[in-house]
Amino acid sequence: MTLDTVAMDVPVRVLGYAGLDAHDKERLAGLGLRPGVSLVKILKTPLRDPIECLVGSQLLAIEARLLSQIRVEAA
Amino acid sequence: MSRVVALAGRPNTGKTTLFNALTGLRQRAANFAGCTVEKATGTMLVSGGEVEIVDLPGTFSMLPQTEDEQVSFRFLSECAETPDDLLVLCVVEASNLENDLVLPVGLKAAGYPVAVAVNMIDESRLNGIRLDASELSGRLGMAVALVSARTGEGLKKLEAVLSPRALRADLSESLDFRRATKKRLHELQDDAVAAAQRAAAASVTWPRHSMLPTVSRSIRIDRILLHPLAGPLILAATMFLLFQALFVGAQPIMNFLSDQIGALAVLLRAQLPEGAVASLLCDGAIPGISAVVVFVPQIAILFTMIGFLEQSGYLPRAGAMVDRSLRPFGLDGRVFIPFLSSFACAIPGVMAARTIPSEKRRIVTILLSPLMTCSARIPVYTLLITAFVPATFHPLGFNGQGVVMAAMYAFGIVMALLLALAMKYTALHEQHPSPATVLPPYRVPSARELARYVWARCWHFLSRAGQVIFTLSLVLWALAAFPRDAARLAPIEAELAVVLSSPAPDPGAERVLRGRLAAAHIEGSALGRAGRFIEPVFRPLGWDWRVSVASLSALAAREVFVGTLGTIYALGGESNAEDGLISALQGAKNENGTRRYTLATAASLLVFFAIALQCISTIVTVRRETGSWKIPALQFSFLFSLAYALAFASYRLTLFFS
Repeated sequence: MTLDTVAMDVPVRVLGYAGLDAHDKERLAGLGLRPGVSLVKILKTPLRDPIECLVGSQLLAIEARLLSQIRVEAA
Repeated sequence: MSRVVALAGRPNTGKTTLFNALTGLRQRAANFAGCTVEKATGTMLVSGGEVEIVDLPGTFSMLPQTEDEQVSFRFLSECAETPDDLLVLCVVEASNLENDLVLPVGLKAAGYPVAVAVNMIDESRLNGIRLDASELSGRLGMAVALVSARTGEGLKKLEAVLSPRALRADLSESLDFRRATKKRLHELQDDAVAAAQRAAAASVTWPRHSMLPTVSRSIRIDRILLHPLAGPLILAATMFLLFQALFVGAQPIMNFLSDQIGALAVLLRAQLPEGAVASLLCDGAIPGISAVVVFVPQIAILFTMIGFLEQSGYLPRAGAMVDRSLRPFGLDGRVFIPFLSSFACAIPGVMAARTIPSEKRRIVTILLSPLMTCSARIPVYTLLITAFVPATFHPLGFNGQGVVMAAMYAFGIVMALLLALAMKYTALHEQHPSPATVLPPYRVPSARELARYVWARCWHFLSRAGQVIFTLSLVLWALAAFPRDAARLAPIEAELAVVLSSPAPDPGAERVLRGRLAAAHIEGSALGRAGRFIEPVFRPLGWDWRVSVASLSALAAREVFVGTLGTIYALGGESNAEDGLISALQGAKNENGTRRYTLATAASLLVFFAIALQCISTIVTVRRETGSWKIPALQFSFLFSLAYALAFASYRLTLFFS
């Protein structure tokens, strides 16, 4: 499944990326959003984009368009 | 050979706080060669030897993507070619060791001498994280120091790591990042990720609870500050406070400074014999100092607030909240604060663009910030609107003059957004530089750190931009003061002498004559002649030589436009000079009896002042921030051309419809 289909506050584990361009992939990996890391969607910002997520032990605001390109599994 | 310690690390690891703690106020700022990226350097004494500390831009991985990240790697490669003794001190955070260790591990593999400072160790203890420094040092094969830059804990031990060494590390085999292939960097990154995970797993003991207390507290706060309803309201209130502080807080201090410096000029003028020296000091040098110093309160207040918001962790969240609405224009949430600050003054706005990590986005922000209606435009708008928008004009029952003033604010914003949209199709456009942003935990800002941050910003302005602004103020004074057209001035001076020599001089007559003298003086000066010379250029906009001179002099500061027009219309000595000027502009006639200035003239002036970069101080600040004259020259010429074209269009359209 992809991250956009996951409900808020449900812990998942990142499996990989699907269709992300190299720039976004490298940037997300640099930020710590790599396969194997735990992830929880916390909340939507007021304009519903970006989405605040807990990735490992840090909070990231991730553009909503990317969520459908991040593959995850239930943790 | 000198010892150079390059501070490297991911953003939000407290790298700059550590830099400040190590160097104190022994800092200077410049730009890295050939780009707008700021290079902060400082010195510290270690074991009797001086060590140079360089604060490199934040770097997320071994795969540099933005100009800022590339600069860090380029600097290391350039350093490797010098005889300097280099040490890369990577700043990491215990709670994020897995990610933060990638850089030191990768740099060591690339052949660079690396040490690690695990920062915020006090916060890690509060989070229940235990770190075995010797295990970590053994695993990484490099020195590790546990520190808290905010409290000073562990800094003595860190000094031992930084001590100058007798022998330079061998960098002959180190990787030259300027020539490294993408494949090699990917290999380094992948190996470093695996090694960092192993080292972190072996040396860190995590608390039993699943979430760190600082993170769970931040999430609780975010549920309020990023709430769909409360979030925007809190953001609006915060920005309102920032705006108010800039206008209401800074204005009295600016007025006070301006008054005191003005009083000094009056005092000095009374002591000095009338002539060129008195004019140089009282009309050139002292106003030049004033032109620099008056900006300091705004800069100090703005950066106190920005520093507070940044250190508390709210600034990236504020950016995230507005990010979505700015994306269609090729911008992102980080441009919000510079744009907002520019409503007070473009100078702090341009300086606030430093908080934007992507170079291209920073340049776009710097280019567009001066389009926001700054406070210096208000006297110009007020004069023109009051003089030429009829008080009887009531669109939809509103006060027409107020509507036009509000429209001028909207016009600046719309122009900035339209130009941002146009820049999406130029080389300056960058796909959203980061599709994700780190939201650091909320922290209580440190007063000492905040004071250092504000001091550094103010000092950089005074020491760099201030010198040029002062010099240019003197040049403008010289243009307005020379040459002295004796033939033109002699009859007025004779009349004045008669008035002054009478037993009871008439103060009214004296004031009028002094006003005429000042008007004749500026008319005969180089500035006045330049105004006449360029009159044909501005004639299509409906301007005569007087307005052209006033616009030229407004390069010193936009509000000078009003003062210069006042001088030209011989109103310098009147107590109600602005009211007098409004009447003078309304009543001014051409030789054929037609009105010299009309609504169409006012429309073209309003549009021109809304767009043109009529402010030397801003131009100099842009040069200072971008490190070259290329960007300000491009900005000035582009905005001037656009302002001219739109002013011409508005002049012709207003003539047509009126």
